[in-house]
Amino acid sequence: MLRDDTDKYLPLTESTYYIMLTLVDPLHGYAVMKKIEEISKGTVKVGPGTLYGAFTLLEKEALIVKVKEEDRRKSYVLTPKGKNVLMNQIKRLEIMTQSGLSVIDML
Amino acid sequence: MAENTIRKIKWFFPWQDEQEEAWLRSMSQRGWHLASVGLPCTYRFRAGEQMDYIYRLDYQTFPEKDKQEYQQLFRDAGWEYIGEMSAWQYFRKEVKEEEPLEIFTDVESKIAKYKRILAFLWLFWVVLIVVIPVRGISMDDPYPWWGAIQAIQVFALLIWLFFTYAVIRLMLRIRQLRKL
Repeated sequence: MLRDDTDKYLPLTESTYYIMLTLVDPLHGYAVMKKIEEISKGTVKVGPGTLYGAFTLLEKEALIVKVKEEDRRKSYVLTPKGKNVLMNQIKRLEIMTQSGLSVIDML
Repeated sequence: MAENTIRKIKWFFPWQDEQEEAWLRSMSQRGWHLASVGLPCTYRFRAGEQMDYIYRLDYQTFPEKDKQEYQQLFRDAGWEYIGEMSAWQYFRKEVKEEEPLEIFTDVESKIAKYKRILAFLWLFWVVLIVVIPVRGISMDDPYPWWGAIQAIQVFALLIWLFFTYAVIRLMLRIRQLRKL
């Protein structure tokens, strides 16, 4: 695996992880909130304060980029660096899940 | 000012934002709804029906163009924007079942909010450190404004002590949140 500096962002918080997942395609803020509720099957809800803070931070770190603005709603999408971070996070989560599943029978 | 409004001046420390939110809610429950906020620590309430509104406070500074996007995001999520008081952003929503009642949905973003306040306090703290020790003027100097300089220094020192206290209180608040 390619060594890079994206590990410093890991682990992502649950909210940030879901926000980044929804930004594979360009989406604006409210759409991100709705989609997170949907794909997390209602287990994760992200409030506007949390979302705005995450947008600001992710944009500053160049993990997402603004692509469009209409009716005062900005749309963002993952940058290649952002995709890389997300990929590494998913791999970590996969290992975590496998570790968990391997002991689940013993619980 | 219209007859059916009242103005209150009330001081809250930056780490007492939850008490402030609770106070605003209790005002609405008594039929006084926050109409606008301003300096110094001024709240204007408008009379209306008794309502269960919850209030939430964010702390954000941004250029005017980003304000629109910010407010739109909250509006989309069902929050009414009321106003701004020195970077504090006031929002409200009617309490209903099935409606999310928080603008911050995780501890990390709550901490980030307090860190934004801290960044601002630190800045002033450092500026005051520079202002306070104006030395090189001895007591014997016949400057007529020596007394005034001393008064300013004492004043700056008091403010600096207050800022130091505020920084410590905010750090404790963050530590308390981290333990959750």
